[in-house]
Amino acid sequence: MRTALVAEGLGHSYGGKEVLRVGRLEVREGEVTAIVGPNGAGKSTLLRLMALLEAPGQGEIIFWDGSRLSAMSRRDRRRISRDIAVVFQDPLLLGRTVWKNLEYGLRVRGVPREERAKRVGDMLDRLGLRHLAGRHASTLSGGEAGKVSIGRAMVLDPKLLLLDEPLSNLDLSSRREILRLISEMVRERGITAVYVSHDHHEVLEIADRMAVLLDGELVQEGRPDEVFRHPASERVAAFLGAENLLDGRVTGNTGDGVAVSVGRAEVYAAADFPVGERVKVMVHPEEVVLLPPGEGSGSARNRLVARVADLRELGGVARVRLDCGFPLTAHVTRTSCRELGLRPGATVLAAFKATSVHLMPYSSKKYEEADDGTGWSGALRDGEGR
Amino acid sequence: MGEIWQGLVEACKLIARLDPYVLKVTAFTLYVCSIATLAGMVLGIPLGALLALYRFPGRKLLVTLVNAGMGLPPVVVGLFVYLLLNRRGPLGFLGWLYTPRAIILAELVLAFPLVAGITMAALQDVDPRLMLQLRSLGAGRVRAALTLMRERRLSLLAAVIAGFGGVISEVGAAMMVGGNLMLHGQPYTRTLTTALVLEVSRGESVRAIALGMILLGITLLLVWILTMVQQGSLVGRAFRAAFGSPAGGPGREGP
Repeated sequence: MRTALVAEGLGHSYGGKEVLRVGRLEVREGEVTAIVGPNGAGKSTLLRLMALLEAPGQGEIIFWDGSRLSAMSRRDRRRISRDIAVVFQDPLLLGRTVWKNLEYGLRVRGVPREERAKRVGDMLDRLGLRHLAGRHASTLSGGEAGKVSIGRAMVLDPKLLLLDEPLSNLDLSSRREILRLISEMVRERGITAVYVSHDHHEVLEIADRMAVLLDGELVQEGRPDEVFRHPASERVAAFLGAENLLDGRVTGNTGDGVAVSVGRAEVYAAADFPVGERVKVMVHPEEVVLLPPGEGSGSARNRLVARVADLRELGGVARVRLDCGFPLTAHVTRTSCRELGLRPGATVLAAFKATSVHLMPYSSKKYEEADDGTGWSGALRDGEGR
Repeated sequence: MGEIWQGLVEACKLIARLDPYVLKVTAFTLYVCSIATLAGMVLGIPLGALLALYRFPGRKLLVTLVNAGMGLPPVVVGLFVYLLLNRRGPLGFLGWLYTPRAIILAELVLAFPLVAGITMAALQDVDPRLMLQLRSLGAGRVRAALTLMRERRLSLLAAVIAGFGGVISEVGAAMMVGGNLMLHGQPYTRTLTTALVLEVSRGESVRAIALGMILLGITLLLVWILTMVQQGSLVGRAFRAAFGSPAGGPGREGP
């Protein structure tokens, strides 16, 4: 697969403070690459550098035609930036009609009148906003303005579309609608896109690849499911909202797996760490199966007797907090919740495979976990359900 | 009190009769102030935009100068222009002193910082990310700046009206460099304000009141237009239509 853009050794500072350090980031042609990270991680800075709206303090960006940022003539720069469109967090529409807003980029590019009319007309139809063509932008609802903002970029048929948290100021229903719109249009038109976000749900919905940016540093890159399943470090896991993050120590290594003591219990993980090493243990809550106590069957390597500490229903899933020698959270369906007669104080068997346990190098720093609403396991489940 | 009332009545009669002297002074004043304001726009709007939208060395100094210029005492400006234009001054060779050109120059010096300052304030109010958005849609620096100005056209109109209002009502500079002269029985460098001062000193209160009423009328008209435009009334809509309308039906916009 061809690359649309490669960023190498990018660094940028504001007022002497380094805000960005990216070893290497590859954006592949025709794919949606998500850049995720908490607020202030440097995501938007990275996007502005790729958009040629700002020059990096150091480093190189190589574009699809091989032209390099460091050796770029004014003409090259102009040509490249005309193939890039950016959508920012707020719609930032002009105080004109919807039609004129959509037309603006084409006008600036000197596209002839008839072609402008055709492209803007087609875009209005695609967005389902034909009836709003003559409306003044200031009278639009948030969702409508968001669509116009997306359309204004898409109508330019950019090679590279950069989106900087385009949904963050929208209500939930517009958010879903516009995310679907972006996702469909990007694929219809074969546009390469970079999607900056701090929301895991959005990323799983839209991205082919994702890059995690923490404190200005690119710490992990890969397929979204892969990154969510195997975060490279505790920091990444914590940012992605992992629910079961535990401290452990490796007590045995059989070659095809390790035993780790966690709290008062021991779990088995399909991993390779030396005996005696401290590790961070992550157990995917939706892969924990709850069984009646004494149940003998099943292939799960880890089987722990657990006491239900707390139970909460979140939509179709119930989140069960267990004590099995260490605190463990499991996500089970409401049906199985009822069948097992789960209630606080009840005893169950918690089973999960060795491959459901992910081990990471230990770090002594404490990271805040994301709040429950954005828990990544829930996001994974949503993603699979669609 | 009776005297003032009588003066008012006589002044109204004078205006109603279209007294040629009063009319000529009024016409001359409008001419001089319009040209000065126009020149002030040509210089002030680009400078204001430059100061609002770009960062460059020396910008802070310029901003300070513009801000200081907005509060310049007209008499000091008059003195400054007088020193430039008098026969021994650096621009004395032009021979502009005591001509309409001298008044225009002085009024320009007064109007220009007002226009530049208000333009700057209006454009600085725009969300800075809008500039970035326009640039990212392919607009060059100048194009993006023009688009932003269009976004703030009502504020720019206010800047122009403020400039015009500033120069039409000042007397010190016009008096000092124009000289309040009549030539062959025609007002040569006589504006509404300088004429008014003269009539009062002569004790011709009827003419003074008439001139004052006209001046007041022009000022009120300007304020009224500005208010209407800002409040979006009928006149305002007509004005906005003239200045490029944001409102418009799909029929006009569509292909």
